[in-house]
Amino acid sequence: MAKQASVTQSMSGLHTWAGLIVGWLLFAIFLTGTLAVFDKELNWWMQPELHDTGLDQVSAVRVAESWLRERNPDASAWNIGLPTERGPSLSVSSGEQRRGQRTQLDADSGEVVVPRETLGGNFFFHFHYTLHMPRSIGIWVVGFAAMAMLVAIISGVIIHKKIFKDFFTFRPAKGQRSWLDGHNASAVLLLPFHLMITYTGLAIFFLIYMPAATDVLYGGDREALFSELRPGNEQQVERAGRAGEGGRAPRAEVPAAQMLPLEQFIGRGEAYYGEDMLGSLSVSNPDRANARVEVRPVMGTRLELTKGESLVFNAITGEVVGAPQPTRTTLLTQKVMAGLHFAQFGGYAMRWIYFLCGLISCAMIASGLVLYTVKRRRQVKSDTRWLRQAEWLNVAVIGGLMFACTALLWGNRMLPANMAERELWELRVFFGGWLLALVHARLRAPLRAWAEQLTLIALLLLAMPVLDMLLAPKALDGLRLSVDASAAAMGLILGWAAWRVVCQPQAVKKTAGETKKIRTSRTGVTS
Amino acid sequence: MSVSLFVAVFVVAYSGMLACCLGMERHWKKRASRLPTSWRRYCRPLGVLLLALAAYLAMQLWPLAMAWVAWLGLISLSGLGLLFLLPYAPRLALSLPVLAVVLLVIGAIWV
Repeated sequence: MAKQASVTQSMSGLHTWAGLIVGWLLFAIFLTGTLAVFDKELNWWMQPELHDTGLDQVSAVRVAESWLRERNPDASAWNIGLPTERGPSLSVSSGEQRRGQRTQLDADSGEVVVPRETLGGNFFFHFHYTLHMPRSIGIWVVGFAAMAMLVAIISGVIIHKKIFKDFFTFRPAKGQRSWLDGHNASAVLLLPFHLMITYTGLAIFFLIYMPAATDVLYGGDREALFSELRPGNEQQVERAGRAGEGGRAPRAEVPAAQMLPLEQFIGRGEAYYGEDMLGSLSVSNPDRANARVEVRPVMGTRLELTKGESLVFNAITGEVVGAPQPTRTTLLTQKVMAGLHFAQFGGYAMRWIYFLCGLISCAMIASGLVLYTVKRRRQVKSDTRWLRQAEWLNVAVIGGLMFACTALLWGNRMLPANMAERELWELRVFFGGWLLALVHARLRAPLRAWAEQLTLIALLLLAMPVLDMLLAPKALDGLRLSVDASAAAMGLILGWAAWRVVCQPQAVKKTAGETKKIRTSRTGVTS
Repeated sequence: MSVSLFVAVFVVAYSGMLACCLGMERHWKKRASRLPTSWRRYCRPLGVLLLALAAYLAMQLWPLAMAWVAWLGLISLSGLGLLFLLPYAPRLALSLPVLAVVLLVIGAIWV
């Protein structure tokens, strides 16, 4: 019995400290990760110059092909980014895809559109796993936080005394009791999600976090590992497809040839990947005898993460020269885990499930952080200096990051569209906003800081549809309106939270009274 | 992807969680004490059945592997929704399945 108690106690300590120390990091990781579920939609929202012409992919390819043939007939490759459900824009580039600057085209007129430079929703995605630090450092910090999250989840399950009895229990307006109920419920009911998202997040970078096996078996040569993992040698097929049958022969030596119209490959790609599942199309050695057409699916045709997969055709005869090989089971295991984390499958319904689950993870982490301070406030022995630090850091991270994200969206609309170094300015708005929130949190009393920041964020989010109507009225389409509406909905929730903070005079008095009691008892002891 | 089927999966999952919840003594006493006590023991089997039905419906909406992911997500979310509705709007929490069925029927007739 005594031993049992000590296990629970030590687990409780572990949970508190693992949770508290990385809790602030975790909140930032989870919130940006949740927003990144809709990264493409945010990309689209953040470039209001682009508009949805509603053109189907076949016609879009026709427009892009004639544009490319006219401007870049001698390019080594043409790349066409197709309009999709999540980003109805048409973009083209020529040359090596990675280096090539993408040009946005108006799908109706075939004219070039120059959208504003923006960090886009991609920012949230990159921040999610690097925290905007240098990539390799960021991945390690995030990995450390994720490990601590696993520790917190497991120790949390161990210390939860009534995991089944309290399964559906939430008792509101009872101070610490309510915070604990809320924290427990959001953790227990979404336990599968928390575990899955944390574990699969770690599994994505398995080679970075656990390189020992590769070091021993392959002498650290990752290419060697991957060529064994992919026995079909998908990469070789791709490379052959790109370079053409003539190997790396100079372009001029290969005779010109008539390609099949590119739009034909859309139908053939869809026959393979399913309707509306294509994301891009590229041509290597266009209008030459060794021309190849490659169609790539959008991610999410299945659970497995299919990044970089493609179907390759001979552009002259139209025969398939390279199809993706089924992934070997070992690699498939990892790729399915990565797929589960990336949530590209299952359409918008699945995307919303992930988004809501992500929001609840954020709330779970935030409630844990707040619970720590609420609990400490009531403990007579607690060190008030550390409590004070935790209190303002809570506001600075939870409120501050939400403010920074909102500020970034506002900044996207408010900064002049043709500003030089615009992306940098958006970055300044984001981190500047966060810094302001941090200073504010440090200067104000905790409850007041909470109330003020939450109110401000709620108002900014609620005003987003209005802002959008005023500053980019022509750009409003279904996708952007959904972003605005979702922002406003989150504004409502945060507004409710702010109202709860403001309109709790009793609770405030109670805690104030308690701190006073703590102080007097302390002074009593010292004197 | 059919929206009404998605709503249906959610509602069935919610009803399953509600039945499981009422099967617990604490919640039964608080929310359904007017009903005959003997009914309580049917709650949990009914809940499990409804959750299974939700899984079946999810499989109509997604391929098998994706359906399981969606199902787990949806029962988690509906359970949490139930948890927060219970103290704030207990009547709504209990009548939501009925309301949703009525809405779905009206929707079906409308379309």
